[in-house]
Amino acid sequence: MAGLLKNDYLKAVAPRPPAGFTALSRLKKFFAQPANQFLILGALMLVLFLLNKINSNLVPSSIINAVATTFIYATVAIGFCLLLGYSGLASLGTAGFIGIGCYTGFYMMEQAGATYLVALLTALAISLALGIVVGFISLRIEGIYLAILTLGLSEILRNLLMALSSTIKISLANIKLFGVKVDDKQVFLLIVFMFVVLLILTGNLIKSPAGRAMLAMKNSTSAAQAMGISLMKYRLLAFVISTVYAAVGGLMYVMLIPNITTSTSQLFTLATSLNILAAVIIGGSKSLWGTLAGTFIIYGLNATVLNRIAFFSKNPAIIVIVTGLLLILVVMFYPGGLAQMVKGARAFIKRKAAAIRRRRYGDED
Amino acid sequence: MATRIKQFARDKGKGIKFYFVSALHRHNGGRARLYRDFAATRSLEIENKYAAKIDAFDYNLKREQLGAALYDFDEETAFNTAVEPVIARKKTALRLKYRARRETLKRAVTKGKITETAAAEALAAAEAENERLLGAFRERLTDRRRAAFTAEYNAARSSAGRLSADDFDAAKTAQVLAYAARQKARCAQKKEVFVRRNSARTARYERREARYLNILRNTETAVSVGLDDGAVLSVRDLCMYFGGIKAVDGLNFDVRKGEIFGLIGPNGAGKTTVFNCITQFYKPTRGEIYFTTKEGKVILLNKEKVHDVILRGIVRTFQNVEVIKEVSVLENLLISAHRQYTSNLFEQMLHLPVLAAEEAVIKARALKVLEFMGLLPYMDWYAFGLPYGVLKKIEIARTLMNNPQLIILDEPAAGLNDTETAELSKLIRRIAKEYDCTILLVEHDMGLVMEVCDRILAIAFGRMLAIGTAGEIQADKSVQAAYLGVDE
Repeated sequence: MAGLLKNDYLKAVAPRPPAGFTALSRLKKFFAQPANQFLILGALMLVLFLLNKINSNLVPSSIINAVATTFIYATVAIGFCLLLGYSGLASLGTAGFIGIGCYTGFYMMEQAGATYLVALLTALAISLALGIVVGFISLRIEGIYLAILTLGLSEILRNLLMALSSTIKISLANIKLFGVKVDDKQVFLLIVFMFVVLLILTGNLIKSPAGRAMLAMKNSTSAAQAMGISLMKYRLLAFVISTVYAAVGGLMYVMLIPNITTSTSQLFTLATSLNILAAVIIGGSKSLWGTLAGTFIIYGLNATVLNRIAFFSKNPAIIVIVTGLLLILVVMFYPGGLAQMVKGARAFIKRKAAAIRRRRYGDED
Repeated sequence: MATRIKQFARDKGKGIKFYFVSALHRHNGGRARLYRDFAATRSLEIENKYAAKIDAFDYNLKREQLGAALYDFDEETAFNTAVEPVIARKKTALRLKYRARRETLKRAVTKGKITETAAAEALAAAEAENERLLGAFRERLTDRRRAAFTAEYNAARSSAGRLSADDFDAAKTAQVLAYAARQKARCAQKKEVFVRRNSARTARYERREARYLNILRNTETAVSVGLDDGAVLSVRDLCMYFGGIKAVDGLNFDVRKGEIFGLIGPNGAGKTTVFNCITQFYKPTRGEIYFTTKEGKVILLNKEKVHDVILRGIVRTFQNVEVIKEVSVLENLLISAHRQYTSNLFEQMLHLPVLAAEEAVIKARALKVLEFMGLLPYMDWYAFGLPYGVLKKIEIARTLMNNPQLIILDEPAAGLNDTETAELSKLIRRIAKEYDCTILLVEHDMGLVMEVCDRILAIAFGRMLAIGTAGEIQADKSVQAAYLGVDE
């Protein structure tokens, strides 16, 4: 009781602590760092993996699978997010670039017997070259025409790849991952690792001069040029990043699902490109967390949550309708996507709290 | 390596090797400048960090001291101070209840359920009841807590009695002083290490810069055009045709160093086209534009790429404000300093220390510019939704980030009211003086042009009408004819 009194007394008389030296402010500072947030995400996924390993009833493998799928598509989506949200360039060629990753993985790891690292580097090199080509095209063509052109390119790529081989089959037993043999479960860890690394790199890039230059280019090409920003450099950069990320996504996909019949698979069709576009728009094209959330809604929500609800599992078409509706609503009311929604909600709560404080402790009205 | 590059550069003249050498020179020069500026920024940062540390220590001690001081209080005061917040909370709760009662009564009155007098009586009764409740609460609280408090107070007194209050204070103060001295010593040590390292770094980059500059000196074929004494910009026989339209047709003029030069003309006279030609947004059909850089070198602007013009010291604003709306005002300034960043893509992706250093230095520079422009209150605001006058100011602030030799203002007063325009003319003069630069401006607001410009060039249909001071332009017959029409 008396201790309580002493605390009250201290609160009344003691000066406020200097900023940045309370435990809370330090914690806040830690969590405000995007890299730390992403690392925490990775750690959580590690926990998920371990829980699944301990007892598969605790965390069923279907959830692990859904998370892996989400992360793969989210890898593609964050590249696309840089392209659409930061550089203002539209592309519908994502599926074709994913295909490049898949087939490079297949040919390098299965046919040539290379290690994962070599396959990854090859995929990076090929997609980099492709990105530069598309980037150069984007200097001449803009907007919807660019989207149509990339769509055409994607279809060419798809047909070309299907002509090469109609099935992709990889036996994980032959693959060495950084010198270690892996099974299909450990692929999840690889996916999480790659995703978190790319997320951190992208997050850093966004918060650096290059990210700002891209935003400047999106808002006003003439102002950007007047401030010394080379359109060629940053358009190429944006396209290279988006193709490279898509190829990395494709490479990881082929590791997760080692047996794809490409002629019947939806993976390399326009549907994938559009889904990625929808994910980025729903999530918010300028926010990495938003993009991850958008991808989860499109690729992960079904397997993790909705399948457990009888209504949805009986009528799977409903999910597509819901996604479509969500897209319309977001575009109409929240052009910044889920990220903007969360920001708005936070601001709303803050405002309300301030109003309550005013009412309670403010002067008599 | 260096000698080989030198040899290459000599052989090739202005070829691709020249490009590489000048890029290397720029990079190393940028780094050297960065670390020179970083010395001051980082030293200040270190000092602030340790000062904050000492403050925090002081704060913790103060808290303890106050805790101890509780026992030096006379019992009554200490007890009241401790109990007061609890009572205040109770008071607030009661007041809220009272307010709710008032609202219900008000509603009842408007609905006509009770009369106003009855409502007032009920309200007065509620207030009296509150007073009574609060009094009772205070009594109850005092009764309940007095005994426990006294016990603790006496125990603390007897234990603290060994040290007198003054001795206690002295001990604490000595502790703070010792801590501060320790931290200050550590701060000085850290600063010394930093300065040593930084100066070594700076010297290294300076050496490299000098080396590449030497190569450039030997290879660069400087433009052998003698500009008139003191001319910063010289436009010679400039023509810009769009198909059959002659937007600019054989324009000649010089802009002298340090002057404020106005370009006027009726709508469609080709003023903005001239600007776009100078900043290389348009490649002129014919004619040369020569420019003297801050280093005193004369260059031919026609050969520059549009995004490299800023490196030469030419910055511009736009007629329809082109502020980046999706980022904050401060970030707008950072974007305009884009070419001052020397870190490459990997350094940016990994957020290596060099990027942090650059951000610190450039942010400090941006803050200085914001202060100069009076934009500090808007620093963290998103440009989206800011008033037009502020956006115009941001555009001008952006030009100041790059140590410009020539600032080109495209209709800076468009859309501003009279007071803002008056402020602008003062600002333009202040910029020309403090930043030691030349200003070239297009404006329709004749008041502003006549007041602020040292010399004015009037054009119509892409051709020169007259050039001279404000008085000369106003007296010129051809200018009057172009603006007002000719008397029949």
